[in-house]
Amino acid sequence: MLLARVEGNLTSTCKHPSLIGWRLLVCQPIDDAGRPSAAPVIAIDPHGAALRQRVIVSTDGRAARVAVKDPKSPVRNIIIGIVDEKSES
Amino acid sequence: MRLGTVIGRVTLSKSLPALRGGRWLLVSPFTRDHFQQGARPPKGLSGDPTLVVYDNLGGNAGDTIGFIEGREAAIPFDEPTPVDAINAALVDEVTYSPLK
Repeated sequence: MLLARVEGNLTSTCKHPSLIGWRLLVCQPIDDAGRPSAAPVIAIDPHGAALRQRVIVSTDGRAARVAVKDPKSPVRNIIIGIVDEKSES
Repeated sequence: MRLGTVIGRVTLSKSLPALRGGRWLLVSPFTRDHFQQGARPPKGLSGDPTLVVYDNLGGNAGDTIGFIEGREAAIPFDEPTPVDAINAALVDEVTYSPLK
């Protein structure tokens, strides 16, 4: 799972059928301080995350396949939650 | 899924039977500093290594695609297939506004 910040979205007409109807968001993985830590990834979004919101992105393909209800889908990244606050000890 | 721009195609004269009929695209992945904004990919190549992506959607040179890497790339096939990256979306437009 990745802590990430939503930095955009994309549109696509021709895609794998399992992705039809899903929001696709550009998620920037970030570190503790909010600095980018890797290249942006695209995730499907069942929750309706907004631009700049922090989210948790799961990279578990099986969970994503269950969410899109297609056992033959290649989908992998799915936003599983929107972060309210984060505390450090 | 990551995004990248198609910079070429690969053709095979011999391949595994499971892979027949597929196309192969040469893809330069986008990085944070080299990311598409709007409908056109950025000029030039990013610093990340170029990779070969299996394609059954019909991507062509100059297109931006969303590709999926890892075990999940082989899931759509009926039989076990050694595919490591698959094209899952032909991207029309990207709205990207990185936090500076």
